[in-house]
Amino acid sequence: MDTAALLLTLRLALITTSILLAIAIPLAYWLAFTRSRWKTPIQAICSLPLVLPPTVLGFYLLVGLGPRTALGRGISHLLGHPLAFSFAGLVVGSVLYSFPFAVQPLTAGFAAVDGSLLEAAATLGSGPLDRIRRVILPLARGSLLTAAVLSFAHTVGEFGVVLMIGGNLPGITQTLSIALYDQVQDFQYAQANRTALFLLAICFLALTLVYSQRRKNGSVKSSGSSGLV
Amino acid sequence: MSDIFGRSNGASPWLTVQIDHQFAHGATGFSLHIAFETRARRMVVFGPSGSGKSSLLRAIAGLLKPDAGKIQIGSRIIWLKHPGSPATETPVERRRVGLVMQNQAVFPHLNVLRNVAFALRGMDAATQKEKALRLLKLVEAESLADRWPRELSGGQLQRVAVARTLAADPAVLLLDEPFAALDAQGRQQLSENLHTWATEHAIPILTVTHNLEEAFAAGDEVLTMKEGRILGQGKPCEVLATERDRLLFAMGVSSTN
Repeated sequence: MDTAALLLTLRLALITTSILLAIAIPLAYWLAFTRSRWKTPIQAICSLPLVLPPTVLGFYLLVGLGPRTALGRGISHLLGHPLAFSFAGLVVGSVLYSFPFAVQPLTAGFAAVDGSLLEAAATLGSGPLDRIRRVILPLARGSLLTAAVLSFAHTVGEFGVVLMIGGNLPGITQTLSIALYDQVQDFQYAQANRTALFLLAICFLALTLVYSQRRKNGSVKSSGSSGLV
Repeated sequence: MSDIFGRSNGASPWLTVQIDHQFAHGATGFSLHIAFETRARRMVVFGPSGSGKSSLLRAIAGLLKPDAGKIQIGSRIIWLKHPGSPATETPVERRRVGLVMQNQAVFPHLNVLRNVAFALRGMDAATQKEKALRLLKLVEAESLADRWPRELSGGQLQRVAVARTLAADPAVLLLDEPFAALDAQGRQQLSENLHTWATEHAIPILTVTHNLEEAFAAGDEVLTMKEGRILGQGKPCEVLATERDRLLFAMGVSSTN
């Protein structure tokens, strides 16, 4: 198997997952508890990558972050190179592409936390960040794991966005799924078979982890009660 | 920001409440119109369920945001709002209002000791443990320290919830039917310990109850409520006697005078 592509894929998935959790935890907190009228459109935007063809996402990223826009010029000034066809570009694309896989489980998990526990924590002197850290995250740890694993696995498996924004540069932007595509194009079926099997195994393991966690979590749910007024 | 809370001056009220609130949800269109102040260190709010007692406590704690009014603890204004304009308020976590809720809300992911120590952040582990154990002893639940909430009875959970609230070093204590799940003996003992502790720490207590006996026992002053309004305020024997007569009259029993 192509080790460079493997390492690149794992690095991409790890970085993407970390960034996603950092963004998705506060966002999911807001989505789970807000009564703002912006909640619905923001939820829709967060879920767009689920239904949008990856090539559409890749196309807009390529155009939006390219040299024709101020944002794109700003970024390439900062990085010293344009975002397209670079590893940083892949990270941006992957974060957007896997966004719903982090936000949705976290939002559902946070919303399931008994509201009176959060109220109790607040009256005990615990501020919003402390409540996330010491009440919400421990009680929603199953959702946290689900979000992390799904983000990781989905990033490992992406193809369209990576191809659009990253091209196919070995060692820089060539991920496993693209290497597989190349191997098939070159009629290297034995190699392609190994790559495909590896990707299949990663996804299977990830989902097994998620579902085993869900089974365990069923018994440690917080006691039911009405939430906020 | 200092600890005045009316302690130095017995003449000024420790709690001043003035609330107008319309509940948007609910078919009955329930509204809350409350205005009172109190100097009694042990105050009881008495009334049938649905009279707005719990909402009053939630508003003082900051969990309910009324439409308009003012809430003041000692000299500290913790919430002020004129209709239509934004509120000036102290966030819940900085009000130092200890609230023991009816449903206890003990953290299921922490054992009893850690529940009680929840508010004891910034102390070393040994001090936390010592303080938490002392409070568990006060509520006669020190033997439960290593147990998990799911293993406890309703009464035990209430004891833990009380200890946890005391650990947060509250300036005032609000108890919402705190001993409902305890038997009469346990209720009396816990109530006694709690009031002794509160007197030692100079902390006023406001207890919500619909139990006439508890209202007599736990209050120097009683506020009676019905349908979101205040019916009366005064010494328990005066205010509750009327209530008792009203109750008996409603039941068709002749007056006990």
